[in-house]
Amino acid sequence: MKESKRDFITGAEVVIKACRDAGADIMYGYPITPTCEILSGWINEGYASLQTEDEIAAGFGVCGAVLAGQKAFTASSGPGHILLQDAFAMAEGMRLPFVMIVGQRGGPSSGTVIYSQQEVMLSCFGGNGEGMRFVYSPSSLNELYSLTRLAFNDAWKYRFPAVLLTDGYMLKTTGVIEWEKIKDVENSPTFTRLSDGANVHWPNIYTAEEELYEEVMVMNKDYKKAASKVAKAEEYLTKDAKILLVAHGIVAASAKEAIVELRKKGVKVGLFRPTTLRPFSKKQFDKAASNKSVKKILVAESSLGQLARIVHDEMDPEICKPFAYLQKPALGIEIEDIYNFVLKNNK
Amino acid sequence: MPEAKFCVGCGHPIALMALNKVLDEMGLTKKAVLGLDIGCSLLAWNYLPVNTFQTHHGRVTPTMLAFKRARPGSICLAYAGDGGSYAIGWQSLFHAARRDEPITVIVINNTIYAMTGGQTAPTTMHGEKTPTSPNGYPDEPFHGPEILKDIVKPGAYIARTAVNDMAQMRMFIKKAIETQQAGHFSLVEFLSLCPVNWHTNGPDTLKFLEENMKPVFKVGEIAG
Amino acid sequence: MRYKILLAGDGGQGIQLMADIISKTVFQADLYITSVSNYGLEQRGGASLNYLQISDKPIGYPKFRKPDLLIVMSKQGRQRTEQNQLPGVETLNFEYYNGILEKENIKSQSLNVLFIGILAKILKEKKICNEKEIFVLLEKRLGKKTNWEENKRAFEIGYSK
Repeated sequence: MKESKRDFITGAEVVIKACRDAGADIMYGYPITPTCEILSGWINEGYASLQTEDEIAAGFGVCGAVLAGQKAFTASSGPGHILLQDAFAMAEGMRLPFVMIVGQRGGPSSGTVIYSQQEVMLSCFGGNGEGMRFVYSPSSLNELYSLTRLAFNDAWKYRFPAVLLTDGYMLKTTGVIEWEKIKDVENSPTFTRLSDGANVHWPNIYTAEEELYEEVMVMNKDYKKAASKVAKAEEYLTKDAKILLVAHGIVAASAKEAIVELRKKGVKVGLFRPTTLRPFSKKQFDKAASNKSVKKILVAESSLGQLARIVHDEMDPEICKPFAYLQKPALGIEIEDIYNFVLKNNK
Repeated sequence: MPEAKFCVGCGHPIALMALNKVLDEMGLTKKAVLGLDIGCSLLAWNYLPVNTFQTHHGRVTPTMLAFKRARPGSICLAYAGDGGSYAIGWQSLFHAARRDEPITVIVINNTIYAMTGGQTAPTTMHGEKTPTSPNGYPDEPFHGPEILKDIVKPGAYIARTAVNDMAQMRMFIKKAIETQQAGHFSLVEFLSLCPVNWHTNGPDTLKFLEENMKPVFKVGEIAG
Repeated sequence: MRYKILLAGDGGQGIQLMADIISKTVFQADLYITSVSNYGLEQRGGASLNYLQISDKPIGYPKFRKPDLLIVMSKQGRQRTEQNQLPGVETLNFEYYNGILEKENIKSQSLNVLFIGILAKILKEKKICNEKEIFVLLEKRLGKKTNWEENKRAFEIGYSK
């Protein structure tokens, strides 16, 4: 994995390296900004790939490869991500490990092409099911690498599909990645139920309601078991925090920098950053939020409340704390924005 | 898994039987994988002694071609209806044929969407009445094989047969599988039977195939 | 230490080249740097921006509103950075530097190289990196292309400003 101690590379290049190191055999994809460089970069490395006629074929291509026992993935954004949810739902139903890199762009519709955090709900709950998928949200280049690796490993270990949810700022930023700060991990093995002559049927449709009910309940049990291992969050200076900031992805990076400045001014503010949005690290959040020192919870995101909805849905209803929201759909949230927002709420 | 069941008089089991015989003859049963589209095709889940998987409507072709890329030694059979092939799955089928993906697509043409109650399909014939064309279908039917003929690469194989001609079915399937083994795209369309949605009795069902369908959809080898 | 530079101009003016050369030099100096480009939907002719941040510590968020240095290379670039033209931001405007190039009989295509020269000077004064390393990279990228002599002069003019 490491030829040098540190590299100056783009987020897209980090993703390519992570997918390859995770053991990905093939990428199926269709170009859409801001994830084009993942597809072209992967192809230019000489790795196996197919540029399909649309995202639908890319998604089902991933499914076909996985059914046959390969590690495969795709990358997309916005309207392409919507089309991919067709195959992603099949992966959920058939327990196929399916890794999808999502570089969020502005929405709804074609929106804008570089940045947003509006594909949270689509990633977590975009299928006609119960949202049994893993969604990772990295907030640095180092983490973009390690969470991509983890997405593959968890997907193949627990056999649920996984989204690596990032954005165009992250993918298009060239920055420093420090390999010595990243722990190398072993890859999960691949598998297939359809080995030659197995005479097995791998279904996704059932005749009777009872049959599917049983399937979904087994899936639910497996998902809950996996969730206790998969759900993760980072806390930053939350111990004595009067204000608890909640943010994910690149907004959390901005929040962290704002917190450093605010702490210098004596403002007791900390950050709760879910690194998995689904499953959400509920227990850890409840503990942080119910901490007596916390007087107010602030949720900052580049959407009109998609993260806030998850927080409210997951939070123990007995935690009665006032909330405030910094919501800028499709806009970046800069350090100054968070700094001023926290000050305003610290009166 | 319960037993796979088709309606009485359905054409699917006949097509599947022919496929099974050919796989058996060629000694390919263990290497075969049958991908099922949605629609009545999905009912073939354990009809044959081969590996199978189901997909979504129109998605068996892109799924199967990726399976083939992953396991080039397997015999990849994408099994779909006329809707999954020529309507919702047409974009993928067209490009798979254009790229000469070495898979065998089997299309069951019964001129309607059978599983959902007989609605209009791209293969519905002019004047044919369906629940979504109650006054008779005003357009001409879609001829998938004839269109694909012009875009496939040399070496590809495309043919149309009918479920009342066992010898021809077996010959065409065999050629299609040999084409796949030679590294090229192949497709066989089967003119099939659907007495339930055609509202026909035994003799009229066969009469519909012979007198209504065959003059519109010409059986024979179309490419390769 | 944190130094933020915002480059703003038109696509085709060589802004991404500027960012590339500066950031690679800084990276070689074992510092942290982020560079994020920003442009519109059009492949040509739109505004082109690049946000550069240099630090001795890891950098979290790659964008910023208030740069330390704003380099405005075109009218479109000025329009796109209205919100960044805040009090205390050192701003270099293309009109003045185009005038200098004209006096020296150098084509305005070398404007980006002149600004690289200015940046080399500033970064040297801030002890971030050496102008020679920047020049070596510049020569690697442009040395074999036409107008190299003019570009070399533009760099020197920039560096002496």
